[in-house]
Amino acid sequence: MPPKLLTGNAAAAWGARLAAVDYVPAFPITPQTEIIEILGAWLDSGEMPGRMVTLESEHSMITAAGAAAATGVRVFSATSSQGLLYAMEMLYTVAGWRAPFVLVNVSRGLSAPITLEADHNDVLAARDSGFLQLHCADCQEVLDSVLLAYRLAEDPLIRLPVLVNLDGFYLSFTREPVSLPEAEAVRGFLPPFDPRDIRFAANAPASQAVAVLGGGPYSYFRYEAHLAALNGVAVYERVAAEFNTLFGRQRDAVECYKTIDAEIVFYMIGSFSTKAREAVDRLRDAGQKVGLVRPRLLRPFPAGHVLTAVAGKQGIIVIDQNLSIGLGGILYTELLASLYDKPGAPPVVTSFIGGLGGRDISPQEFYHMLTITRQAIASGSVPPPRLLYTAGELREIRKLQAIAQVEREETAPGQGPIRDSNTAQETPRE
Amino acid sequence: MSEQRINRMKDLPSTHLLGTGTPMCSGCGGLEALHQIYDVLGEKTVFVNAAGCMTLLSVYPFTPFRGSWLYTAMASAPAGAQGVRDALDILLQQGRLRPEEDLDVVVLTGDGSANGMGLSATSAAMDRNLDFLYICYDNEGYGNTGQQSSSATPHAAITSTSGGSCGYPGYKKDLFSIWAAHGPAYVATVIGSEPLDLARKIEKARDLQGSRMIIALAPCPTGWGYDPKDSVEIGRLAVKTGIWPLKEYIDGQVVHTRIPHERAHVEDYLRLQGRFAHLFTPQADPAIVADIQARVDSYWDKVV
Amino acid sequence: MFRIRIHGRGGQGIKMASRVLGTALFQAGYTVQDAPKYGAERRGAPIFSSVRAARETINERGTIYRPDLVVVADDTLLAVPAAGTLLGIDGHTVVLVNSHEPADTWCHRLNITARLLILPACTEVEDRADLPHIGATCAGAAARLLGVIARAGLLEAIAGELADLGPDIVAENQASALAAFDAMADWQGAVTEGIAVAADNYVVPDWIELPFDDARMAAPDIRACANSVEVRTGLWRTMRPIIDYDLCKRCWWVCSTFCPDSAIAVAEDIPVIDYDHCKGCMVCVGVCPPHAIEGVPEYLAQQQDKLQPAPGDANATETADR
Repeated sequence: MPPKLLTGNAAAAWGARLAAVDYVPAFPITPQTEIIEILGAWLDSGEMPGRMVTLESEHSMITAAGAAAATGVRVFSATSSQGLLYAMEMLYTVAGWRAPFVLVNVSRGLSAPITLEADHNDVLAARDSGFLQLHCADCQEVLDSVLLAYRLAEDPLIRLPVLVNLDGFYLSFTREPVSLPEAEAVRGFLPPFDPRDIRFAANAPASQAVAVLGGGPYSYFRYEAHLAALNGVAVYERVAAEFNTLFGRQRDAVECYKTIDAEIVFYMIGSFSTKAREAVDRLRDAGQKVGLVRPRLLRPFPAGHVLTAVAGKQGIIVIDQNLSIGLGGILYTELLASLYDKPGAPPVVTSFIGGLGGRDISPQEFYHMLTITRQAIASGSVPPPRLLYTAGELREIRKLQAIAQVEREETAPGQGPIRDSNTAQETPRE
Repeated sequence: MSEQRINRMKDLPSTHLLGTGTPMCSGCGGLEALHQIYDVLGEKTVFVNAAGCMTLLSVYPFTPFRGSWLYTAMASAPAGAQGVRDALDILLQQGRLRPEEDLDVVVLTGDGSANGMGLSATSAAMDRNLDFLYICYDNEGYGNTGQQSSSATPHAAITSTSGGSCGYPGYKKDLFSIWAAHGPAYVATVIGSEPLDLARKIEKARDLQGSRMIIALAPCPTGWGYDPKDSVEIGRLAVKTGIWPLKEYIDGQVVHTRIPHERAHVEDYLRLQGRFAHLFTPQADPAIVADIQARVDSYWDKVV
Repeated sequence: MFRIRIHGRGGQGIKMASRVLGTALFQAGYTVQDAPKYGAERRGAPIFSSVRAARETINERGTIYRPDLVVVADDTLLAVPAAGTLLGIDGHTVVLVNSHEPADTWCHRLNITARLLILPACTEVEDRADLPHIGATCAGAAARLLGVIARAGLLEAIAGELADLGPDIVAENQASALAAFDAMADWQGAVTEGIAVAADNYVVPDWIELPFDDARMAAPDIRACANSVEVRTGLWRTMRPIIDYDLCKRCWWVCSTFCPDSAIAVAEDIPVIDYDHCKGCMVCVGVCPPHAIEGVPEYLAQQQDKLQPAPGDANATETADR
């Protein structure tokens, strides 16, 4: 079938439709709503068999999703941001049920302040939940990842729910050419759900999700979920190879773009990584040997693949579109932990926080991150993590603060100006 | 709809389906009601449980259920019931589940969940006319965590978070009316100390379609402060004093199934419980007792 | 790569225009990316959409900062800095404006060097904002400027995009788009593909160290009161309510009470409409018992203003410049 222009949201809905899902518990939230609207229209018109129910919250939505998966049907659901966090208790819970289903998250910055555009703090807040995570860079990958996710979730070696993440606006509302595989071909790749012993039925009484007392049994059950998740790396590799054979699209656990001869690589996830690809192309035009390493699979963390991708490089530029408040970039800290003491680990890893709340990252910023990293390699001195934030942006917030009448001096009577003069350098660095 | 079978005390089953060996407290009025309910509903059920005392009915590797069970979380058991019901319907429709393998979906929650964080999910389940049974065992407080006050706690009861000289300042939430206002298929109050009334209502609920909602007052020796042997007596007094009206809502009408024409004084009920001891010792607080009595009288004045 | 930005107001078919262009370019063999950009969706509020088209894979995404073509469907947006219509334009950029006023006037007023063209009106309307099928018209004109979209491709894209609305709507939009396409024949191919930002000799970003600020200012709090009056929502208006004081019964409450925006104040029994903020919903027109309020197209009203200055400042910017 020739490609057609689809938004990331429509690609996600097509993924669910091609996966022949039975059940869609839903709740609206921007920028995800279009997914359930599209599915609702197909279900209403009969173009797609199955059933949708709108719950009263994401917490209930994930409960219903997990409960239906635990009863033995194929379940799809989708949310975003505050919704994912509202459901957080149930993310951990249903993962513990070992109930396989697929949840699409359309990334959006978290409140407060409340906002609409993308960053990854929402989905990364779920990184310890037991959901596996696939991160998409373009709309085609959204569709492909939903199909791959069902294979992962339902594999007997795994049996865990899977989150597929796409960025709000940058993918959710953006149309790109997407090839829709034939339903028949998808059935060959993803046959109807065989729940095996996952069920509730009168002839097979079962108590699921039972309490334990004591740390021993608890450790056992939680760590078993961890081991199942770790199986995900090998299962993903096998499934992605099969996918590539059938559909001709390579979906490696870790995308390596022009890395073979690269001296320095960018390391990031999500749709902004295509901006990094563009920067890599332009930098190569200028004679710079750079590449991009992008985990598609973030949970389980494909540490071996990442190490292979970066081994022997002079440096890594980590761009975190997230912020662990009080620590820094999440990808940065996880990457450092996975590389520590490993042979071939690059000596210099620089950390940049960029793209919070959908803030753009310009080509020049990519180029300059490389310049800074080259300087660090030359000097042996690695700069502290940096927020991508310009003097112009600070001037803009100062204007807004003036309108909001946040009086800078007055707010700290008797304590002098509240901005510490030592840290108040509003001049360009370097 | 099947004919009502339980008409007399001797129709009540003498062998019981719910397994022994649960970690519920000795003398638990909630368990007393639950096992009677289970006898009527039978094992072709899946219980979807919210956090509360009865979380611990199934502790790995033991379960008292002959049928199925799914533990969810405190706020969303009705949503879990939605997922299970919908999935069973899908499987039936697809021919992947034979009709005789179908299950009744039963939510089991305490009053803390039912009146508090689970109320939104319960309300929405009724909005969707979810075909399920909901059983709230109401021991009038967060019993599993040591009897803190919930919005089902009665006026003046001492709880571990309302320990002042006057006890809980609020009044028990009228969950029956809140539920009935949704217009579900069935709402009823029951109590384990009135097994015939309970069995008839559960039987009726079992045979209806749609949302069927049951509140079982659950005398709680641990949380209410009385000797476990008095559970049945306290339950009977709750009915005799008129404090716990036995009633049902069906077809838009509220009907009282047991009207205590000669009501005992509320004091008879209150005096047996440690949580109300401050109303009588070291010195009596007749004003609070009179207020409680007046509210009970006012309720029944409107009924009779 | 072609980089196209289309600006308009919610309800003008801006998203439709970008999708029509995107689809037509895609069918012409380009790889395409198109996206609308709106905040909280509000009819009348400024929005824009983007289209990128290239022969190779498109890795750029998000807002277009170096447009080859900017289409402005509503010329009042040119005066609204927050709308960002002029973001990143240079001598290479073609700016197509839907306006009654000539290109020279706008070039002079805006002091820009970009090639500025006026969208031809194929239907006579009093207010350019009322141009029928404004989205399709913009798409048709833009298609011609790009020079790589054939008539048939344009028609097919509109048919595909508007199929759900029925054949009549499709035909009307196709007619408007074609008329604009034809009217721009002299400018066939005026827009050329721009190039990417080179990595050598790039402009170093002016990054700063974000200073620590006290939580009293570093929390998202506003200490001002009712400063939303600085947002001139009067610019959303396409119809203007005008009170005929000869007919007004001085009832003192009806219009001001029902005005959702608190934009009618009554001083000494005389209601006065705050045109800086009146969004033109026409609620007051409907509720006035003696029918003393009339709705007049904003464009006509502004022409009257020029002859005879009236309340409200037509040149006000949407957010007061501070």
